[in-house]
Amino acid sequence: MASGVSGYAAISTRVRAMYSDLLAPQEMTRLGDSPDLPALVSSLKSTPYGKYLSGLKDTDMTPRRVILQIRNRLADSYSSVVQQAPEQTRPLIKQLFRYFEVGNLKAVLRSIQTVSSWNSDIAAWDRVREVLFPFGTFASIPAQAMVESGSVASAVDLLHGSPYEATMSFAMKRFSAEQNLFPLEVALDLAYWRHLWGEVKTLKGKDREMGGKLIGSLLDLNNLMWAIRYRIYHNLSEEELINYTLPFGYRVRDEDVRAIAAGADIASIVSRIYPNIPDVNALLDHPQSGLPKLEHLLKQQVMRQCVSAFIGYPFHIGLPLAFLLLSDFEIQDLVVLIEAKSSKLKDEEFRPLLLKTTLIQ
Amino acid sequence: MLFPKQMSEVELIMPSKDLVAVTRTLSGYGVFHQVDSAYLGLESLGPNAWQDKAGAYSALERRIQAIMQNVGLQEEYPAKAEIESVVDMDAVRPEVDRIEEEVKEVSDQLSGERKRLELLESQLRQLEPIADVDVEVGMLKKSSFMHSILGVVPSANISRLRTSLLRVPHVFFILREDAQKPVVWILGPRSNSDVLERAAKSAYLNPLSLPDEFSGTPEQITAMLRKEIESAKQKISVFEADLARLGGSYKSELQKLLWDVHISRVMADAIVRFGQLRHTYVVVGWVPTADLEDLTSRLKEASREILIETMATSRSGHHAQVPVALTQNKWLKPIQMLVGTYGHPSYGELDPTLLMAFTFPLLYGAMFGDLGQGLVMLVLGVLMHNKIIMKSMQSLGLLIAYCGFSAAVFGYLYGSIFGFEGHLIEEYLHFHFEPSWLSPMHDILSVLSIAIDAGIVILTLGFLLGMFNNIRSRDWAHLLFGHSGVAAFLFYICFLAVVFGGFFGSTALAPKIALAIYSLPLPFSTLMIVFGVLVMLSGFLRNMVEGHTLIEGKGVGGFAMFLVQSVMDLVETLISMLSNTLSFIRVGAFAVAHGGLSLAIFALAGEEPDAGFWITIVIGNLFIIGFEGLIVGIQTMRLHYYEILGKFFHGGGMQFEPLNLKSAQEKT
Repeated sequence: MASGVSGYAAISTRVRAMYSDLLAPQEMTRLGDSPDLPALVSSLKSTPYGKYLSGLKDTDMTPRRVILQIRNRLADSYSSVVQQAPEQTRPLIKQLFRYFEVGNLKAVLRSIQTVSSWNSDIAAWDRVREVLFPFGTFASIPAQAMVESGSVASAVDLLHGSPYEATMSFAMKRFSAEQNLFPLEVALDLAYWRHLWGEVKTLKGKDREMGGKLIGSLLDLNNLMWAIRYRIYHNLSEEELINYTLPFGYRVRDEDVRAIAAGADIASIVSRIYPNIPDVNALLDHPQSGLPKLEHLLKQQVMRQCVSAFIGYPFHIGLPLAFLLLSDFEIQDLVVLIEAKSSKLKDEEFRPLLLKTTLIQ
Repeated sequence: MLFPKQMSEVELIMPSKDLVAVTRTLSGYGVFHQVDSAYLGLESLGPNAWQDKAGAYSALERRIQAIMQNVGLQEEYPAKAEIESVVDMDAVRPEVDRIEEEVKEVSDQLSGERKRLELLESQLRQLEPIADVDVEVGMLKKSSFMHSILGVVPSANISRLRTSLLRVPHVFFILREDAQKPVVWILGPRSNSDVLERAAKSAYLNPLSLPDEFSGTPEQITAMLRKEIESAKQKISVFEADLARLGGSYKSELQKLLWDVHISRVMADAIVRFGQLRHTYVVVGWVPTADLEDLTSRLKEASREILIETMATSRSGHHAQVPVALTQNKWLKPIQMLVGTYGHPSYGELDPTLLMAFTFPLLYGAMFGDLGQGLVMLVLGVLMHNKIIMKSMQSLGLLIAYCGFSAAVFGYLYGSIFGFEGHLIEEYLHFHFEPSWLSPMHDILSVLSIAIDAGIVILTLGFLLGMFNNIRSRDWAHLLFGHSGVAAFLFYICFLAVVFGGFFGSTALAPKIALAIYSLPLPFSTLMIVFGVLVMLSGFLRNMVEGHTLIEGKGVGGFAMFLVQSVMDLVETLISMLSNTLSFIRVGAFAVAHGGLSLAIFALAGEEPDAGFWITIVIGNLFIIGFEGLIVGIQTMRLHYYEILGKFFHGGGMQFEPLNLKSAQEKT
């Protein structure tokens, strides 16, 4: 079983090369200067995203299609990293990649729930496929057949043999009773993160340390935002909130989540965990606008962890993981730009939403 | 071999009546890389029913696959499968409907009975842990003061469920430990029933669902359930036998249907991407020029009226859309793998595989020069390549063999065998073995100097290949002012003369090539400033040659910012030239380190050639082969990826993916 220097020699070299291909904050600023979507796409064509956009005709240039095309780069990055990663770390990377399949699965289920309100002259699958992440050969769900099955129950039956079968079989009882996708989505999320954390725990030494740091930071972000949103927006009871969150992570401890569930002051908890995030109180005073900002700041915390992984001893899983997470954040930024340019948003409306700033590079 | 296969662009115009025959030829031969004709703007010129057909074939293929799965047949095609034509949906669909209906009737019954069996077994499993409790299960629901929840919960949720109940009084029993579906029983005061229910529900606890028709103690219910399970199993066996019988009787028919629909679907998918005019179709794609003649004659057999226009694509200019077919050579496979990790060559670009096949073992051998250890690696590599050991690492075996051979050659040149050098060979191995070239341990500075010289040669080659690529692609701007263009190359030559020839000229490390350049009667300092200015302004000059806006992003910081950036570019170029050149010192340093590591092993082994001595030498050699061999491999890879390939190889080519029914046929 290759690990350490031997296992990571090729991949760390390759990942560093791919890392250098990520867009610099200055390039992101330049892209943000584009007057409209065609100009943005034209500028993107001169970046490493160019090869994914070269076949896009002007008539195809809808925001969804452009986003779909640029996401192909992330899919390629995952594919490349999975192939080169040491064998014992591949399950972790594949599970990390499954995040997008979980997203696809939710999108498919939502589409089935809402298909009746759609224009009937456009096939359901044609509408859905453009919003799905291009998962390629890694896909384990028959998305098209699920959409065409017409009902959530039939679609879930098609998950037989997939990694989601067991989770969905439990959650479907609740869906049948409540006819609401919320329990299905929560169950999928919890199972995904538990599995991912379980994969981190199977690693050893430096891999485990770096995996715990990066995946744990990502988990913290999600767990904390779930807890806050469940309490503020969903008004869930303490026991429900605990059951819908997770007891592990990098900085966020189970006691923190339980304290939020029990009604403690959220701002003081967040400030204690992340002392460098300013004015948490002000953010939580206006949750409608404050929570997205808090999430934005937490994502930047994760990005900083990722960037720091590239400093120091390079032969561990931290580099590939950090690169993949940074690639994802970069695409999130590009999605903001694409949506902003197609909706003709003003600079001050979309620039604060960009994750990559000169402070993180 | 040096370049991807020469490709020709093919444009076909054919009458509608020959559409299927031509598609069959294109799909069956496996040399045609199709381009979506939608890019030509042709898709709207006529009605295209093939989109619907492709969808219908795809759906039908899935149905046939589902039927085969239901009757327990493997997805196989007939033994003698011919590529005929697209099948008529109206003819095929009734056949599929008929078989499907017959199979569905039995499979629905089977599925229903299986679900019933699963439910009964689940109920039985739920009752087993409390089988010896002598109370009526229904009593639990009727308690006045206690609230009881008995059910199955995902095992991953148990700990969280317990945590969520910490603040209410309760008892929690795991009645059955199960990796997937443990049975739990929660009991608490009825006043807290809402909390208990919410906690259970949010932990996805599915309450035990015992049918009302079963009553009595768990033991009595268990007996009844077992009886029902036995009956369900018998029914399932009968239905399975029915399905197997159906599978046997419809096997050949289903295989034939699957094959017909499969090739129809593949051809329809291809046709969807054809351009359609009123009575003709336009097909555009790429074919390796070597296969063009054969394909043309086959197409003419398929359609007499077909118009074939072919354009050989020269390698000059930009060809991002030209697919790249590389020459397959099993002896170069491990090197192709290394190149592939860096990038896929683009059309017109030099494929660095052959160059790397020469430089990779060369640099490896120079760093790991030892006749004995090299031969061990050679044998190990041959064994791996021939799948005698480590069967899954065939390609890596070949690479190890190449590196081992090179290491053995350099070992002969260095006079090193299993770490024994000079007098040690005579003393312990009792034969005479002198270095035929030099001994790194005794000529350290010479080795380091030669390593830098080798680096200069390789980097120069990189520059020249980069320029060669730019000439072929007629990219004049990058040829003159690119990172590995003429200006940068001449700046590098002046840099070598001034820095390595002049500044370090009097040191023992001074590379001979730099000294030779420095001895030329040219004003290198002045020339270095001139070419330095060109390198500094390279972005500006490239934009000028290409006719673009001269200063990119001039709004941000204006001209002053442009000047600062240009100066920084020059500094970066200087630093990278220095580091790239000095980077090759590692080749000499590792050759020296190899000798040093061997000396360390001898120090551990002692002087007396007893058993302990030889055991230490053997273990030491194994350690050197495993550990140092690996590190040298990493260094060799690093030198190629960072210092060599970056000079001339860009990658980013599109892979050649021809239409191919053969792969499907091979499944037969």
